[in-house]
Amino acid sequence: MANLKEVRNRIVSVSSTQQITSAMKMVSAAKLRRAQDAITQMRPYASKLKDILENLSASLDSSDGQYSKQRPVKNVLLVVITSNRGLCGGFNANVLKAASKLAREDYKGNNVSVLCIGKKASDYFKKTEYGIIGSDMPRGLNELFDELTFLNVAPVAEKIMQVFVDLQFDKVELIYNQFKNAAVQITTTEQYLPVQAPPVTENKKVGEYIFEPSKEFIVADLIPRSLKTQLFKALLDSHAAEHGARMTSMHKATDNAGALIKELKLTYNKARQAAITNEILEIVGGAEALAG
Amino acid sequence: MHLEIITPDKKVFSGDVDAIKLPGAEGSFGILNNHAPIIASLKKGTIKVTDAKKNIETFEINGGVVEVQNNKVIVLAEA
Repeated sequence: MANLKEVRNRIVSVSSTQQITSAMKMVSAAKLRRAQDAITQMRPYASKLKDILENLSASLDSSDGQYSKQRPVKNVLLVVITSNRGLCGGFNANVLKAASKLAREDYKGNNVSVLCIGKKASDYFKKTEYGIIGSDMPRGLNELFDELTFLNVAPVAEKIMQVFVDLQFDKVELIYNQFKNAAVQITTTEQYLPVQAPPVTENKKVGEYIFEPSKEFIVADLIPRSLKTQLFKALLDSHAAEHGARMTSMHKATDNAGALIKELKLTYNKARQAAITNEILEIVGGAEALAG
Repeated sequence: MHLEIITPDKKVFSGDVDAIKLPGAEGSFGILNNHAPIIASLKKGTIKVTDAKKNIETFEINGGVVEVQNNKVIVLAEA
């Protein structure tokens, strides 16, 4: 039979765990809201930028720009975006799994390096044979999430563009969790460089605009901006997805702790009653022995 | 005309204005009402906005692009 004291101790420890998980759930819910706001804030910028670029590249062949040139693929860079902290379900594992699969299967025979954003990714890839780049960034890649602003993200994007233009890498892929809603994250792989030309949409009325100083100049100026925006968007998405994932998994943990406590309480009460019955039996037995 | 200044982090300005002075890639230029449609590249500098009451507001930007169409001015800035 379960020891009374043991059961009591377990009840105490499970309920304090439950307190922690439910607090973490609350914190994540608040952070999720803020992260979602940030996504909403940047959306007008991204969509307008995309509009202008589509407008321009529809009438311009930009396939030989320095960021869009297709080269035979030899060296591949994977930009892996995870979180700094755990306790968020399969969030990090999914991304890391997808990244290793990509490196092992799709880019078999290529030179694969990784750029890790988030502590979980750098901890993971430290133990593998892949080269890690980006550890020389002035602002640590893992601290990005402490203050996720465009200004802080831009240097990372510049660094990635730099290694691509310097012919160190022929292809760059982003792997991250896309935020769909609080409960659903989609592990996404996205080609970052070379830039893929946007699908040319018909019925765009171009040519009415004056271009200052020239179309080519504007396109060359806008492509790096849109690349920075793309990375920024991936980071914001991943950040929101992280809190969504943590919220869901902490919610489940709280529920599970509740169920566990209920079960333990039942065991505890049963054991307590059995002990009392036992005691009464002993007393009655003793009294009878005296009377007899 | 309606002006919007948008950065990736937030919308900095939105409202009706009289005149805008922008740091174009090849020299500063102004935009008044009924300007022809234009897409122009911007460099690091200051945007000066004058509204109907002659109040002047300035914004520092780190480059960007401006689109003008139908009296609607949209500045995408990095700030």
